[in-house]
Parts: sequence; structure tokens; C-alpha cells
Amino acid sequence: MKIKKRLSEMIMAFFVSTTLICILEGILGMIFFPEVKTDYGAFFSPPLFGFCSVILGLVTQSKKEPSVRQVLFRLGLHLLLIEGLVFGLNFASGNIFTPFVSVILALSVALIFVAVHVILWMNDQRSAMQFNECLKRYQQENTED
Amino acid sequence: MKVSIRKILKKEEERVLIECVEVTPEIEDIQAYIAHKGAELSGFVQEKHMVRFKLADVYYFEALDEKVFAYTEDQVCEIKMRLYEVEKLYEKYHFVRCSKSVVLNLMLLQSISPALNGRFFAHMKNGEKLMISRQYAPRMKRIVMGGNENED
Repeated sequence: MKIKKRLSEMIMAFFVSTTLICILEGILGMIFFPEVKTDYGAFFSPPLFGFCSVILGLVTQSKKEPSVRQVLFRLGLHLLLIEGLVFGLNFASGNIFTPFVSVILALSVALIFVAVHVILWMNDQRSAMQFNECLKRYQQENTED
Repeated sequence: MKVSIRKILKKEEERVLIECVEVTPEIEDIQAYIAHKGAELSGFVQEKHMVRFKLADVYYFEALDEKVFAYTEDQVCEIKMRLYEVEKLYEKYHFVRCSKSVVLNLMLLQSISPALNGRFFAHMKNGEKLMISRQYAPRMKRIVMGGNENED
């Protein structure tokens, strides 16, 4: 696949992830840490996590054609790496969560991961529908020849 | 243009002869049409019975264990060609590579749908489902939807 196409997919994944992380941070913060006041630096956290997640997504890329099982394995590995990144960065910056909050955070990260892939899948679905319309036309034109 | 048909006795000697002053694009179209309609392949069923079948009836070609198989509605035949030869030779008959091991017939493709990780499924008109890899999807799209190389 061309680098341009791969880059555009990564950029799209970055923006979708960043938006969803913003929403997640807002919701979790309001529920579990309503007393915490943040500074301007907090605005950089969603794009940072979004960027790192997209970079970690390189584990799903392969020069060979992976089987469905291999793809699922790589997606699972990608999710694990993201979970590790989120908890690792939080731990490194001194944020220690209770087990309950940790579970909620882990589930929320997984939810975002699934949501990003659903949105990318919907984009592919739109592209497939366009292709199918053109395919009918292509077949008609070439049958009439 | 005059069209005439002369009946002959032997099937093997059937042929179409185009007599023209100049080979124009229209003549080339007629040639491609006749070649496609008449194009027949021979292959082996279960490695022993030799059969002949029309190229237009082939849903897809698949390379398996160094062998290439042609899949029609009701039979699977081994053909004595390499997959890259199939791809190159039958490109003008609407066959296109969709993955490392499969060349499919666009005229017998029903639709595509998204799969995991940017790949697509090809749903053939006989109900079979094939995988379109990320690498070959842009070329397929370009052939069907138009556009140029740089749009991928």
C-alpha cells in the first residue's frame, strides 16, 4: 500500500482518537476527580495519547498479508500496548488509581479503541458502497460492448 | 461493414477473420470482444480429466501450493499457468489481482464490504467470499472507479 494512503489513515485515526480521548478524560474527570482543577498543559494530553496510540498502531502493519487470526492478534497487542502506555504514563507522572478506577479506565481505553475502529470501518463501508455503485456501472458498460 | 458467416464442419477450425484497411480502436474493441467471448481455457479436474471452459465463466484464479486453479460455477480446474501470467494475460478481460494468491473476475463480482484492518471482502456472484488485501484494493478501485495512480 502506498505511503500516502497509510499516512492519511494514520492521521484520521489520530484525530478520531484525540477527540474520543478528550471526551473520555472529561467524563472520567467529572465523575472520579471533580475536585481536580487542570491547567493549560492538560490540553496537550489527548493529542499526546492519540499520537502515541497511532504510532503503536504500527504493530498492526505487515508487509505480508496476515490472516484474520493474525490481524485479531495484532489488534489485541495494539490494545495491550495502549493500555500499558496509559497506565505507564499515569504511573510515571505520579497518578495512582484505586483498583475500581483502574478497571474503569482500562475499560474506557478499550471502548475508545473499539470506537476508533468502528469509525474507520464505517469510512471503509462508505468507500465500499461507492465502489459497488461504480462496479454496477462498470459491468453494464462492459457487457454492452 | 459487411458481416458474413460461413459454416464449417470442424469445431476446432472455427475462427473469426477481420478484414480491414486499418486497425482502428473500434476494430481492436471487436477483436477484444471476440477474443473474450470465445476465450476458452483447458484445465485438469482432479489431476486427470482434461476439461475446457470459457474464461468468462471463471469467477477467480487461485494459487495454492505452486499450482493455479480456476474456479467456475460448478468445477475447480488446475491450469498450467503461473498466477502472474494469468493476471497479465487476462487483465483486458476484467481479471484483476485482489490478493497475493487470487485474481478475480470483476464481471462476476457482486459487491465488496469492509473487513478488519483496512481490508475488504469480495462477494462473488456465486456466493463465495474472497479477501481483498490492502495492497491490491487501491488498484481494483482505480480500475472500477477510475482515477489515476496518485489518488491511492
